[in-house]
Amino acid sequence: MSSRNIRKLISVGLLIILAIIFAASTESFFNSRNIILLLRESSYVGLIALGMAFVIIGGGIDLSAGGIVCLSAVVCSRLAATNDVPAIFVVLAGVLTGMACGAINALINNKLHLTEFVATLASGFVYTGLALIVAYRENGRLVTQAVKNKGFLLLGDKIFGIHVMTLTWIVLMIIVMIILYKTKFGLHTYAQGSNAKSAQYSGVNNAMIKASGFIICGFFSGLAATFTLAYQGAVSLATGTGMEFQAIAACVVGGVVLGGGHGDALGAFIGALFLTLIMNGLYKYGIPTAYQYILQGGIILLATAFDVQFNRFTERRLSAVTTSTSAST
Amino acid sequence: MENTPLLQAVGINKQFSGVPVLKDVELSINKGEVHALMGENGAGKSTLIKIITGVYTKDSGEIFIEGKPVEINSRQDARNCGISVIYQELSLIPALTVVDNIFLGQEIRRRGFLDKKEMRRRVKELIEKYEFDINPDAVVQSYGMAKRQLVEILKALSMEAKLIIMDEPTSALSAAESEKLFETISGLRDKGTSILYISHRLEEVYRLSDRLTVMRDGENVGVLTKEEITPAKVMRMMIGREVKQIKDTSGKKIFKDNVLEVKNLAYKNILKDVSFKAYGGEILGIGGLVGSGRTELIRCIYGAEKQSKGTITLNGKPVKKSIAKNIRNGFSLVPEDRRSEGFFPVLSIEKNIAIASYDKLAKFGVVSRKKEIELAKKAIKDYDIRPPIKSMPVGNLSGGNQQKVILGRWLTRDLKVLLLDEPTAGIDVGVKGELYQFLEELSKKGTIIIMVSSDLGELTHVADRILVMHDGRFFEEFTHETVTQTAVLLAASGVHTEEGKAL
Repeated sequence: MSSRNIRKLISVGLLIILAIIFAASTESFFNSRNIILLLRESSYVGLIALGMAFVIIGGGIDLSAGGIVCLSAVVCSRLAATNDVPAIFVVLAGVLTGMACGAINALINNKLHLTEFVATLASGFVYTGLALIVAYRENGRLVTQAVKNKGFLLLGDKIFGIHVMTLTWIVLMIIVMIILYKTKFGLHTYAQGSNAKSAQYSGVNNAMIKASGFIICGFFSGLAATFTLAYQGAVSLATGTGMEFQAIAACVVGGVVLGGGHGDALGAFIGALFLTLIMNGLYKYGIPTAYQYILQGGIILLATAFDVQFNRFTERRLSAVTTSTSAST
Repeated sequence: MENTPLLQAVGINKQFSGVPVLKDVELSINKGEVHALMGENGAGKSTLIKIITGVYTKDSGEIFIEGKPVEINSRQDARNCGISVIYQELSLIPALTVVDNIFLGQEIRRRGFLDKKEMRRRVKELIEKYEFDINPDAVVQSYGMAKRQLVEILKALSMEAKLIIMDEPTSALSAAESEKLFETISGLRDKGTSILYISHRLEEVYRLSDRLTVMRDGENVGVLTKEEITPAKVMRMMIGREVKQIKDTSGKKIFKDNVLEVKNLAYKNILKDVSFKAYGGEILGIGGLVGSGRTELIRCIYGAEKQSKGTITLNGKPVKKSIAKNIRNGFSLVPEDRRSEGFFPVLSIEKNIAIASYDKLAKFGVVSRKKEIELAKKAIKDYDIRPPIKSMPVGNLSGGNQQKVILGRWLTRDLKVLLLDEPTAGIDVGVKGELYQFLEELSKKGTIIIMVSSDLGELTHVADRILVMHDGRFFEEFTHETVTQTAVLLAASGVHTEEGKAL
């Protein structure tokens, strides 16, 4: 079995063990209502993590994802405040806002020769600021608007007892998995994340791959915002705050290593599930928020430390194979 | 000059995993002399330097400083003995001032705080003594390569260096800057500092050095004094008896329908005016020193750099500015530094091979897994990549096998042009032979092969035709039958064979 699959089995195993512990020790954890809610909650950070995975695998990072979520959510909420705009256009507006932000990130990164870190750190502030400008005001004061568009609200509902958001997340995870492993674009993304110069000399269009990664991450951030608005029926301007770090954390916990070339969509998916599950379980135990945060930090540290050790272990195993085969020649 | 020895190394031996690299090597440097150390790549020069400066420990032998035996086991030991090195890549911190750089790591303190005044005073004193055109308060990044080198020398002098080792100090300097450096070196010598000078540029060595030690294959060949030094003599000592193997060229033919033409190519200040034609079926070797424009030429042809002047055409069609398009038209490159430009260390052998061929393996962007595996299997078999495990990350392979993977990447494509930049650097002899075999086979199929190499043996044995670059131009051309290593080496230094004979 490849080390990639072993890594995934270990995290799924841990996920199941945790779920069993929570289920056995708290009454309100293992019932269908809580599980459905848990999945819904995971899909918020999980959708963003899918987009983030593209950027990270390609060797970059997107710190503006939180800002994009905020801006997309506000744009959608303005359009959905009345019944004038058809629901489909509201959704499109949310997603396209996200993609436009991604395209701007790509432009800043490429044309100004800034690193992904700085480019998106700055643009994230700009997107949050834009959201404030776009937001609805009454007599000059910011007022939260409730969504009135009935069609749009359906998006926050359930089909077959599961939220549309959750289903979309699972379907998109599978699609991203296919894109990353089965398409030229996906394989070029891994190559770029592994070694950009080698990729260039092998005919990979680095600028195109980078730009696509940002736009995809924008798409997923916009989509997450749109769904969250439909589910909650209204958004505050705090929407999206810190979500970029939640998404990055989900990726890292799921084996999408910062620096690029490693990990996949399923990993990011499991990572999001893992983090949400732990927060939910701790909440059920009645553990104060302070400790929940501390534990979350601890888990990220543990997961990363584990990855380092795990990679060392597989490396040693592989070099043992290399020396034994070359010795036999 | 007094002829008392400053440093004497006697009977130095060093092995790496059982392979002897230095065999009873001797080196003796007098006080206040410029001593040159010469030898081909791999002759053992850098190993010897590393032993003297405490980077490696010797297996046996003795080192004396001013007649007293010393043990040099670390850089600090070397510094205490008064030995300093100025490396090709300078070790200064660009954001710090000259004074801060010079005292970095050995700061003078007073009551726990830095004594900036005292440090500045000492630097100023040195600058005045050696008459350097350096401002102690300047930030190093405002200085060009030449002045940075002076700062490095100051740093060495501040540590009371008696011997300064300079490794290819002029490789990044312009002619005028080099001239200045030579004056500095003469000045240092006159004030009693010894210089060990390592350079591939023969003319510098002749001008500067008082004595010269030649190494070959890890052994001393001899020591020449200033009066004895002539280029031809040094060349002969460096190369030794030339073993000339004429390769079997039967069954080879020139494919006139596959031709790469480069006309009046110029690139920045590096390539000045390069023109040549290369045909399918021939292996064209490009020789010359590092910095003569060889790598830039290859990159321009591949479309990785944009030339400032001139044209490059393949069968009459101009070469594109996009690497992806050039690859589709049959171009391929084995780059100079395989670790940073060639392979993907964490990705598998399979992915490393398939990376350049997804245009062929994919339909509407979706890659056929079956074809990907077939491709990898074929490359592993044809090129005998070891271990033959297609899921193995390439970072775990040996250098030779990594290079085979990069070659394997181009194998299944319909290659018109294969460009190679130092293809066998750091590769063991066995795999080298295999690589040459692959090139020969590919050439027989009609591919144009252009190979840049610093390895004279490789150039003279493998290439059908050799063009030697000097200072951004082609200086001389040889055929496989007429070429000698000495001639290539002379041409690389800007000396024609005929002139070389006269010397």
